Amino acid sequence: MSSEDRFRRVYAGNFDALLAYALRRVEQPEDAADVVAETFLVAWRRSRDLPPDDEIKLWLYGVARRVLANHHRGGTRRERLGERLRQRLSAVVTDPGRDVPQRLDVRAALKRLPETDREVLMLTAWEGLQPREIAEVLDVSPAAVRTRLTRARTRLRELVGDERDAPGHVLDVLTVPVPKEAR
Amino acid sequence: MTDEHLDRQVRDADPYRPDLVARLEGAEQHLLEEIMSTPKLASVPLRRTLVRRLSAAVAAAAVIAVAVTASTLVRREPPEPYAGPVGLPGGSAGAISGWELDLKAAENLPRLLIDQPGWKATYVNGFDTENGSIRFEKDGRGLEMTWYPDQYYQSYYDDRLDVSAPEATTVAGRPADIFTYSASDFAVMLKAEGPTFVEMRTDAKWTRAAFDEILTHIVKVDAEAFLKALPPEIITPGDVRGEATKILADVPLPPNFDYASLDNGGANDPYQFAAAVTGRVTCDWIAEWKRADKAGDKAAVKEAAAALRTSHNWKVLKGMEEAGDYPEVLWEVADKVADGDVPDWYKDGLGC
Repeated sequence: MSSEDRFRRVYAGNFDALLAYALRRVEQPEDAADVVAETFLVAWRRSRDLPPDDEIKLWLYGVARRVLANHHRGGTRRERLGERLRQRLSAVVTDPGRDVPQRLDVRAALKRLPETDREVLMLTAWEGLQPREIAEVLDVSPAAVRTRLTRARTRLRELVGDERDAPGHVLDVLTVPVPKEAR
Repeated sequence: MTDEHLDRQVRDADPYRPDLVARLEGAEQHLLEEIMSTPKLASVPLRRTLVRRLSAAVAAAAVIAVAVTASTLVRREPPEPYAGPVGLPGGSAGAISGWELDLKAAENLPRLLIDQPGWKATYVNGFDTENGSIRFEKDGRGLEMTWYPDQYYQSYYDDRLDVSAPEATTVAGRPADIFTYSASDFAVMLKAEGPTFVEMRTDAKWTRAAFDEILTHIVKVDAEAFLKALPPEIITPGDVRGEATKILADVPLPPNFDYASLDNGGANDPYQFAAAVTGRVTCDWIAEWKRADKAGDKAAVKEAAAALRTSHNWKVLKGMEEAGDYPEVLWEVADKVADGDVPDWYKDGLGC
């Protein structure tokens, strides 16, 4: 199989997961298009160094995490790719503010966790990863992941109780606003 | 509240909806094509990986081609034999001096060589003005130089920052940065010069000391010295007409085939060149098939289909089969189109 064929297969097999990963972590849905585009662009350029199939998803999450961090720092996009995806995401992703209150409470509580604890919990519950897999994505030890996970659950348990009594809600899970880029 | 109960609440709060992808109306496919249209380290990977095996396979290929010929003919007999002309249009060969053409093309290249005995250029790809690569080998070690349009310098540099911290150095008089992939695998990225920047990457059998040492032997040379350093089998612009004539001797040519489209201003190893020539012809036949199909010109559709089916008998493709997968890709596309189905990936597959 040529590296182009493999890249197509990697893209097809991981697009949904990467889009989900990105959408869960950006403020504006269209920004997820940038994260996905940038992540797969890195994979395309590194196609000579791509890890084996059974490791590729974790590797992509790791790349996406760095891309996302760059977005949060206000970093610029490298290429103007994914415009159509931006437009579609903007059109089809519903306003999270219209979601049911219990979900919004949990998301609001997640926002109040420290970033690393929150990420461990999100990777567990939303990406469905095991501690050893999370350790690879975050480049920390599995023991550190378990510690953070325990801490995150304990804190969230307290917060969810608190949130139920608190009025209002927050729209998404991020604490850091993603700056909109100039067109 | 148990951990399981809590995790379920978090899962329920997932803002992502799995039905989303179905509503993207192909935007994900569009993004894939956008990404794959950008340059990467291996600019034509389909061919590149194959060409690496070419040197070893080249002697065997002639023998194997005989066996392949027989089996291919038995496997597939064109139902509508192509009856039109084959080969290049006459009277155009030799119009331009080959050596002058070569010098002109080489002027646009980075023209970096390893000034140390024993290094040999074993692989050449691209060599249009802003994208190309050349691989040098000696004693089982390889060093590949790839160049890209200068507009991509910063984004590639940013990419490599994820590989390792850069270490400033100088290569061939240019400021450069070394990146460490592993204890035996290194790269150096030269600052852009003119329309391109160059990245050099080792294969995985190096030491840092050997890499540092070889970088002191990278030199920029003039066009003439560069061309003379290329192995004789490399097809330079001055060779294009003669070599294309040989390749196309048994290949049906599409209507109004533009011979100038083969003058891509570069230098290629034989595999790359044959892929470029046969790919060009096939792309033009597919364009002709699509035109005729749209126009309802049944005779032209039939002629294009028959011409595409003859690709199984093109001598040059049979000779390439053992070296790589390009012929198989071409045959797959040609057969599909001849059967009335134009695959949407054919341009990527053939390099149209």
